[in-house]
Amino acid sequence: MSGDIRFYGAFKDELGLKTIPSRRIAKDTYEIFIGPQHPGSGHMRIIIKVDGDVIVEAEPDIGYVHRTMEKLGEIRGWIKPIPLFERMAIHDACNITLPYVRAVEKLMGVEAPERAKYLRVLLCEINRIAAHLYGFAIFGIFLGHSTMYMWAMGDREVWIELAQELTGARLTHSYPVPGGVRRDIHDEYPDMVRRAIRYMRKRLEDYRKLFLDNPVIKSRLEGVGVISKKQVVELGIVGPNARGSGVAYDVRLADPYEVYDQLDFEIPVFEEGDALARTYVRVEEIKQSMNILEQVVDWLEKHKGEPIIHESVSSKYGPVHKKVLQEQRRAKLLPLHATMKVPAGRAIGRGETARGEVIYYVESDGGLNPYRVRIVTPSARNAIAFKYALPGHKVMDLPAIYGSLDYFPPESDR
Amino acid sequence: MAADKLSTARQRAEEALKSIGVSYSVEEGANFVEFIVDVARLKDAALALKNAGFGTVVSVTATDYPKKNTIKVVYHVTSMIDDEVKGAIIGVGVYLPRIDKPSMPSLTGVWLSAEFMEREVFEFFGVEFEGHPDLKPLLLIPPLAEKRPLRKDFVVREENIYEGVPFSNVG
Amino acid sequence: MVLDVVEAILGFPPVWQVLVVGFGFSLLVSVVAVWFERKTAARVQRRLGPYWASPRLGGLLHLVADMLRYAFQQVIIPRGVDMTPFLVAPIVGMVISILPVAVVPFTSNPQYWPLPPGAMEYSLLIALAITTLPPIFIVAAGWASNNKFAVIGGLREAFIITAYELIAILGFLAVAAAVGSFNLAVIAEAQNPVKWFMLLNPLAFLAVIIAVAMSTSAFPFEIPESESEVVAGPFTEYSGLLYALNMGGAYMRRFIYGILIALTFMGGWAPYNPGEGIFAGYIVPSLIVTVKALIIVLAISFLRAVYGRYRLDQALDIAWRLTLPLALLGLALGIIQAFIGLA
Repeated sequence: MSGDIRFYGAFKDELGLKTIPSRRIAKDTYEIFIGPQHPGSGHMRIIIKVDGDVIVEAEPDIGYVHRTMEKLGEIRGWIKPIPLFERMAIHDACNITLPYVRAVEKLMGVEAPERAKYLRVLLCEINRIAAHLYGFAIFGIFLGHSTMYMWAMGDREVWIELAQELTGARLTHSYPVPGGVRRDIHDEYPDMVRRAIRYMRKRLEDYRKLFLDNPVIKSRLEGVGVISKKQVVELGIVGPNARGSGVAYDVRLADPYEVYDQLDFEIPVFEEGDALARTYVRVEEIKQSMNILEQVVDWLEKHKGEPIIHESVSSKYGPVHKKVLQEQRRAKLLPLHATMKVPAGRAIGRGETARGEVIYYVESDGGLNPYRVRIVTPSARNAIAFKYALPGHKVMDLPAIYGSLDYFPPESDR
Repeated sequence: MAADKLSTARQRAEEALKSIGVSYSVEEGANFVEFIVDVARLKDAALALKNAGFGTVVSVTATDYPKKNTIKVVYHVTSMIDDEVKGAIIGVGVYLPRIDKPSMPSLTGVWLSAEFMEREVFEFFGVEFEGHPDLKPLLLIPPLAEKRPLRKDFVVREENIYEGVPFSNVG
Repeated sequence: MVLDVVEAILGFPPVWQVLVVGFGFSLLVSVVAVWFERKTAARVQRRLGPYWASPRLGGLLHLVADMLRYAFQQVIIPRGVDMTPFLVAPIVGMVISILPVAVVPFTSNPQYWPLPPGAMEYSLLIALAITTLPPIFIVAAGWASNNKFAVIGGLREAFIITAYELIAILGFLAVAAAVGSFNLAVIAEAQNPVKWFMLLNPLAFLAVIIAVAMSTSAFPFEIPESESEVVAGPFTEYSGLLYALNMGGAYMRRFIYGILIALTFMGGWAPYNPGEGIFAGYIVPSLIVTVKALIIVLAISFLRAVYGRYRLDQALDIAWRLTLPLALLGLALGIIQAFIGLA
């Protein structure tokens, strides 16, 4: 094709974003639609243009599982959005709803009691481990490593069981509510957590042997999908993907919420910025989460019987509700919460989910419904990475990069 | 601690905006602060804020106010690497007239992280961003995006469980 | 009269061998291999695997059920395909992939050789020559499908052919050089009872195993059909029986390679000495060879549980930079062994 020459890579040169190697490419590139009905795409589509085996352009086409969270958030009152927003990332349910709850709490001017905060952190970290394991599983199957898939999915069950024991639900817990949490732990629970941690530490060693130190997997990931530190800041990539590129940005540290400022934990940061570094970040995060869990259950054991819900809620309880709270340690929401009104104002709730920072901008006009709920999920912010990290790589690198970004379409599409 | 960071960030942003002579009004939220500027000076203000260290857009938040007959578009930005202001969220925004296709300059050239979010605001509110490299709906299909779903006059019709509402009747 | 002709055709050793050993055994072996692959992978992955179809057999009948399903499933032929190659390629590809059995001796007794002793002198060469043919039909199937994923899969298959073919042939020739004959019967006989070439010449053996894994898209070289990138590679548009032929073809080729490896590297019917008569002279040694081939097939299939898949360029890199020198060293070793008369 003489004459029809296009130059790729000129875009955003001034920002230092030379993700696309500047090379002359004939116009007769091959366009491949990966998704949405593709075993390796998830509920999204990536339109790639390839020159030979090299991707020269990638266009993430998302929105296949858009569920109008922002609009529904405006018409369902203040409490019902909690189980709604969970659906964005069901295996990360507590992490993804907690910032909304905190934003509402901020508008209402209530603060959860200390024990409720610890319980929230407990479920958040359990969720984080489960979500990372889910990510590993998908990553494994992308790389053709079915054993990693089965192992991670199987071991995730341990954490789901823990969450079920705590909340009564495997995935959609609806655990934090404005003012506190719905349930307290029972006496055997701390030991269950410790057993799970012991088991998981052993399993992580197996993962290392079979997956992380596997020469095939290593050669697939090393130096693939490199996102530099500057690009991370420029593209707004969050979560383990940012920390794999040397950006020490974690909401738990940058803007501590709940009791994270009282806990002792580290934020693993790797400098390489490639798919392998992102994978390592997740492994280290699982370890750190387990450290946090140990501290949290220790604290919970020492402070039995403290309130788990704010007085403004529990003071309105009738005798039955009070009895349930006393004997079963379950805090119920009253019917009047369905028609709860929140003082006018605006607040931003933010938290660190397994995949990164989630932001809720909640605006109230003092009415029955939120006036506006703006949600920016970590996957929504990471989606842009496909556009700028894929070009220059081979088609076979696409699953490796996709998996290492731990992109989750339902969360991204909201 | 977070409050310290916010005041530092606010101070820094105000200095940056004053240094280029942009007039602004401040709107405060519970844990963030927004600077409302004129549409004509938005790009300058954004550049000044970026040079002041606020390198990443966390959200392009648009809100529809039919009573005031205006649409507010705010870029909530933060810094991911600057330890002094890391974690503090400030906003720079404009009020647009509430017409069918309000228009404002795109800030994708300043903050690349706003690229997809501006597309979102475009499809949900109909705000057109001049100079956006690839302005098209992100999540919705074009016919649905035409209806500006997040504006307040788009009313969600509750579906009766016994009868399906034809897709074309949405809104 | 007609019966005589049929008997003459079926009694002709190459035909008989292709039908019984080639088709029958390889079908059986692919069923067992798929079952074994799923069952061992399940064991490694801490689950059950196929089970409910026949709990006592460990779910072996599950695979039979699968085959029946494939056999009765509707064969959907998309409108855009190039009809003739689309239909012909999988069938011919599978037939050709079991043809090498026609020249393979399963015993040292010349009475039961498929070819006359003179033609047997070149049996290894003929077998190797035929094994290089089936990939062409895979590429053709991909091209005829008129599907981007199929084309890319076919292209990858073509890349992989260039990588493994030379290695496989050099690896087998190392043995031929050591023995000084292309006659598979002579090669196998030279190893009797325990002078197996997998011990004498491990370099060539390893090179051949890697080449076979590549050729039959076993992990970690499952590249042409890699699901997460190109759906099912060249077979994306196939369904029903044609799909089963394509997918089963890989296992059959693995089995045929396994027979060749059993004869050249694992001593063939050794340590058994074929005697006279159809039982002692043909059936027992051929069963021994089949079992050895089965072991090769199962060992290669097991890799699925351990490895992910390489990238295409990495696989080519491994083939040309690591395995080809390995095969050449093996060949040199074979020549040295011939020189000092070890074999």
